[in-house]
Amino acid sequence: MLSPAVDSIRRRSIHLTAACQHGDITRPAPGTGIKLHFKDSKGNLIKTVEANEGDDVLSIAHEHDIDLEGACEGSVACSTCHVILDPNSYDLLPEPEDDENDMLDMAFGLTDTSRLGCQVQLTRELDGMTATLPSATRNMFVDGKKPTHH
Amino acid sequence: MPPIKLAIIGAGPSSFYVASRLLASLPPSSPHHSALRIHMYDRLWAPHGLVRYGVAPDHPEVKNCTHKFDDAASDLRLQFFGNVNIITTPPIAPVPGSVMLPLKSLISHYTHLLLSSGCTLPTLHPALPPSDDCVSALSLVHWYTQHPSVVHKPPPPLEKYKHVSIIGQGNVSLDVARMLLTPPSTLEKYDVPESVLEVLRRSSIKHVSILGRRGPLQAAFTTKELREMMNLEDSSMVPIDHTHLAIPEGTKLTRQQSRTMQLLQKGSKNKPGLDFQDLVVGLLRSPTGLAPPLSSLASPSLPYTLSLAHNELSPEMRAIPTGETSTLRTSMVVTALGHQAEPTIPWYDPSLRHVRAVGSRVVNETGHTMKNVYASGWAAMGARGVLVSTMIDAYGVADTMLADSFPEQFYKEGDALRSATDGGSLGDLSEVMAKEADLDSVPEEVLDAKATGNVTDYNDWRMIDQEEVRRGEKLGKERERMNWEDAKAFLGRMGGSL
Ligand SMILES: Cc1cc2nc3c(=O)[nH]c(=O)nc-3n(C[C@H](O)[C@H](O)[C@H](O)COP(=O)(O)OP(=O)(O)OC[C@H]3O[C@@H](n4cnc5c(N)ncnc54)[C@H](O)[C@@H]3O)c2cc1C
Ligand code: FES
Repeated sequence: MLSPAVDSIRRRSIHLTAACQHGDITRPAPGTGIKLHFKDSKGNLIKTVEANEGDDVLSIAHEHDIDLEGACEGSVACSTCHVILDPNSYDLLPEPEDDENDMLDMAFGLTDTSRLGCQVQLTRELDGMTATLPSATRNMFVDGKKPTHH
Repeated sequence: MPPIKLAIIGAGPSSFYVASRLLASLPPSSPHHSALRIHMYDRLWAPHGLVRYGVAPDHPEVKNCTHKFDDAASDLRLQFFGNVNIITTPPIAPVPGSVMLPLKSLISHYTHLLLSSGCTLPTLHPALPPSDDCVSALSLVHWYTQHPSVVHKPPPPLEKYKHVSIIGQGNVSLDVARMLLTPPSTLEKYDVPESVLEVLRRSSIKHVSILGRRGPLQAAFTTKELREMMNLEDSSMVPIDHTHLAIPEGTKLTRQQSRTMQLLQKGSKNKPGLDFQDLVVGLLRSPTGLAPPLSSLASPSLPYTLSLAHNELSPEMRAIPTGETSTLRTSMVVTALGHQAEPTIPWYDPSLRHVRAVGSRVVNETGHTMKNVYASGWAAMGARGVLVSTMIDAYGVADTMLADSFPEQFYKEGDALRSATDGGSLGDLSEVMAKEADLDSVPEEVLDAKATGNVTDYNDWRMIDQEEVRRGEKLGKERERMNWEDAKAFLGRMGGSL
């Protein structure tokens, strides 16, 4: 017999492992979902995807092979899923809870519209939201080739 | 292009994040896919470094990062060799059961080397030499995680102690305080070994003081850990003296600092009262000595006297003694003053107390960059930061390694070392690594030890991991840990006892 707490730890990890391997969330029929744009740290569009009400940004990213880390798998214990939202969408969301704020303290490149991807759930109002991934490393590659002059 | 045949010393999170980034950057579609081999060596039989033998048991979510490490290890280009201690000089305290492999034998098989061996030694306090009742936080962490180095050491006699003084105000001191103050009935569902729970159930600890030499704005703990401390079910915090919580005029608080201050001002969920264990956060105090027991006089449960110098903060936020002093009666002192790398690791810098590296690349004592030798994680940065910082650093190291090896594909903008020299070269390089290497060769010493069953691979670890979870399930907990003897017996290897 597992105590309820262990059970919830295990369920959470089973559930989230599944999230990493896709299939945790279902994709809406094209044209019917809530639109979400993912951008890289330089503001280039990575992908526009559609998702359902209630899906969180981390699971959506994983469903669509977007490189957003989720080291603690959505347990608000790591801040690796940090995303920067467009200001309008940020204002539409409820204020982050204490535990999310505690982890945001440690996020890299924190901004006024930063949130943890695993804690942001989509609503219809957020249709067209942009989530920008902060730079994952201290230095970024120059896309493609070595620059010719410098 | 020559291949990357990389040996990594250490199999902690930094090592796995570097490996994972390298593997993912050279996918099957890349022309360099098959030009990569990674051999990860750890002197412990189990992988994951401080994630297994450091992270507090009541933080199970933090350990979810190992799923990503498992994914990396399922790539055939990565191999793990557990129980292999890479040495430059004979170690002072060898890890029981591990195989010694001289660095020289290792590097002749590899074109690239990554030092990712962490900061495994506790920093001590000059006024508090270790003794039976004055120990480092790391030694307690090793006890409650059953680190292979403590297997035959006696557990701390918690039944003897009433008051514990923890010196240092970082997350590790809060981890230790939480482990000592959380009811064992709460801890028993987590990854806490049965032998540890038994000792915790016998504990007589009623009071814990966490002492720091500076003020609340300089404390290194994070808000999350502080909040947990404030919400402990059977403990309360003695309110902090208001003068210590005053914010000097003109100070602009960071977001984290203002949240820490709010928490400290609000105080603990349980208000101080008779039935609670209590916790004191002592600010602006530096220990100056610990007087040994005065025979069995007065108070046998509080035999020691800890002397404290009182401090104030200089304008540069340094702790300056005011001349005032006080004493504290205590049963046990725990020093939580950070960690440093072992002086025997190659390219160790005594003034930094970790590996000398510039922009991920290892530099020798004459300032020359070592060709194809890199450092990452706590070994390179010193013991600071949580997993997210370790991950970001590791990705940067992997990117540098790729840029150095495959510049036409991975050139990095703003690489200080490269742009400082003409034409993007790194200038004079010292070479120690093999120019070429058989992609799948392994040092003979390792093969020999593997044949005797003393070296673990990642499949061994997966089996043990599953078995630990299975044994835990039977006891209603997250997992029940094995030590190397148990693991050996389970794997059907010689010399086990069960
Ligand atoms: C007590 C404690 C608790 C922590 N809790 C948290 C937490 O809750 N959340 C969080 O985000 N971060 C936490 N951290 C920080 C986190 O653990 C570090 O950021 C991270 O582990 C650093 O990774 P690393 O790989 O550089 O070092 P390590 O994890 O230390 O890995 C180094 C590895 O190298 C091996 N090694 C060393 N020397 C040799 C040698 N000569 N030959 C072979 N192998 C060798 C060691 O056995 C070890 O496995 C904690 C740290 C400590 C000390
Ligand atoms: S995945 Fe760890 S905080 Fe979101």
